[in-house]
Amino acid sequence: MNDQSAVWITGVGTATPLGNTYRAFADNLLAGRSGVRRAQGFDVSEHPSQIVGQIEPVPCPPGLDPDEFARLQPLEQLPLWCCGAALRDAGWWERRHEVRLGLVLGIGAEWLVTWETDVLRGGERLFRPEQDREELVNLVCRRLGLSGPAAALSAACASGNYALAQARRWLELGWVDVCLAGACDMAVSGMSLAGFGNLRALSRRNDDPERASRPFDRGRDGFVMGEGGAMFVLERADAARRRSARVYAEVAGCGSSSDAHNMVIPSPDPEPATAAMRQALADAGVPPGAVDYVNAHATGTPVGDVAEVRVLETVFGPALGAIPVSSTKSMTGHLLTAAAAVEAVACLIAMERGALPPTINLDDPDPECNLRHVPNQAQEKKVRVAVSNSFGFGGSNTCLVLKAV
Amino acid sequence: MRGTARVNDSSGKDSWFVDATPQPPGADAKPGTACDLLAYAAVRVQPEGVPALRHKPGPAVGERLSSSLLRHADDQTVVGLAAVLQAIASHHLAGTSFTDWGVLGAPRFLGRVTMAAAMHRFAAEGAWGLSPHLIPHRSLHALSGTVSQALKIHGPNFGVGGGSHGPAEAFLTAAALLGTRPLPGLWVVLTGWDPEPVPDREGRTATAAVCCAVALAVVPATVHGGGLRLLVSPGPGRAAGAPGTPATGPLTLEGLAAALEAAEPGPATWGLPHGGWLRLERARAGLPGPHFLRQRHGVIGQREARRAGPGSKA
Repeated sequence: MNDQSAVWITGVGTATPLGNTYRAFADNLLAGRSGVRRAQGFDVSEHPSQIVGQIEPVPCPPGLDPDEFARLQPLEQLPLWCCGAALRDAGWWERRHEVRLGLVLGIGAEWLVTWETDVLRGGERLFRPEQDREELVNLVCRRLGLSGPAAALSAACASGNYALAQARRWLELGWVDVCLAGACDMAVSGMSLAGFGNLRALSRRNDDPERASRPFDRGRDGFVMGEGGAMFVLERADAARRRSARVYAEVAGCGSSSDAHNMVIPSPDPEPATAAMRQALADAGVPPGAVDYVNAHATGTPVGDVAEVRVLETVFGPALGAIPVSSTKSMTGHLLTAAAAVEAVACLIAMERGALPPTINLDDPDPECNLRHVPNQAQEKKVRVAVSNSFGFGGSNTCLVLKAV
Repeated sequence: MRGTARVNDSSGKDSWFVDATPQPPGADAKPGTACDLLAYAAVRVQPEGVPALRHKPGPAVGERLSSSLLRHADDQTVVGLAAVLQAIASHHLAGTSFTDWGVLGAPRFLGRVTMAAAMHRFAAEGAWGLSPHLIPHRSLHALSGTVSQALKIHGPNFGVGGGSHGPAEAFLTAAALLGTRPLPGLWVVLTGWDPEPVPDREGRTATAAVCCAVALAVVPATVHGGGLRLLVSPGPGRAAGAPGTPATGPLTLEGLAAALEAAEPGPATWGLPHGGWLRLERARAGLPGPHFLRQRHGVIGQREARRAGPGSKA
């Protein structure tokens, strides 16, 4: 891709268990703080896993009616907050009606979450289909006055990377002038915590929440569910340059593949995930040795972390020993549909601040996960090229390459 | 020529219109805005027909499907896979490898009845009463993930849409995706109940509904054409419904199924929610290039391509 048609990130909006602004998230991430707590808002006394990474309620974005905003479900508030913050950050908020502004929103279980929340509030949407009038993606477009094409998509944990890839393509095709892309998830609820718990995928370290999410550690016993989201403003380099926009990074490479193996169990064959990584690096024109940082998918499950290490070994070969790898899920928990998007923010933070976010709770590294870890404390390092892996239920493997501009 | 497809806007929801009379692009269409249909099928099943499909969703393709593949799948996923297998069989693609293809699944309101039953059981039995299969098999990506397993697809797979605008979102996504990489083809699978079933508090439903699924095997458009072609234009991006502009119906699953089931499918044009349109038409005589079809042991020949070609309706 030539310099003019490159696609740049010029705005970020986020809400995570470590804070509801980019700055708060960055500060807490690099301080190595955990956002994992005992679940609030519903009874977990009989749940096998009782710990989660929850967000604080997001404020009403300036310009929207606070009373109307308060009546929305949290899942509806979250993308409005993230999109509004991203547009403001990019300098597009006041001028958003002047351009074809598209939206690609990763959201995996929109209706399950919506129905559960509504029923708990005394609503009838689940039992009265005629009340399901508007999908989330269209609600966001309407409330924010976005006029370009819009789509919701889901590849579970990989959704955010697919959203960025799709938005980049819409920009390349000239379908949009500016595009919001990212993913949001508010799936932390009594039912979903029970569902994943019964799947035996979650950590049961209930008495020690902050130390429960332990990717790559020998004592890991599953992931910790989290919630949150991140949305990015994407635009073509030539357009961003013309308006002297501040630039976070170039969306340089995207790769994807499917295991075709099982809906929930990762494939023992590293080849599909390896192919996704290689595709992303080739798309970015980045040789493996030029990568400065890898934000791993690593959720903290015994099988999944080792499987990803095998993939990294295959892709990077001997160069892997020199490439720092960390899992920010150790601090945020696993944000499911929103994971890839929030971890892309973590990569931008590493680039902007010249510091690598750590894997906390890495006290006893698993010898099967022999990597150049960033254990427990952030490390200073100039990051020009960051890679973020996200692999999801349904057998989706994705890899994103971000390049400093 | 304007489309005359039967459009079933059963939702009765917000209506919107295309911004201008559709002027589909010709051979000089931008990459990613036109694609050819290599195969397609529409399947409609009443609830009592789903268990049989769960056991045997359709004619065998390649390796036999695992008996556990559909055990926990949603009914929409079962019918969606049946449509895919039907399309493969009726267009003589049974020997084709789809390894390098991708798949997009666009179910509509997936899991409503199951969710009602799950909530009832959760309230009665607590956390341990909730099935671990609820979320993986009722999330937006469940349909695409299952089809990727069934066809051994190793390209991209993800869910799109989720509501009544899902078909429009799926085609916007598919048209863009086809141009991004050496992707030989893409399955687009759309499903939904008509009407939407109304569950009671225990997750039972007495709604006389039909599950509809449309499966389309789309490949990048070629100059050869000759079969059915989809043209996608996302439109100028202005707010829809400008006064004085001619209206066509919105794109719906049922409208698309009806158009494909016509004796001579196409042309038909539908509006997209944020402006623009999708058009189904018959391209110029010829065949898709055989390079789109790769069998497990080599490249499928022209004869097979002709057999698989357009016009053979599901």
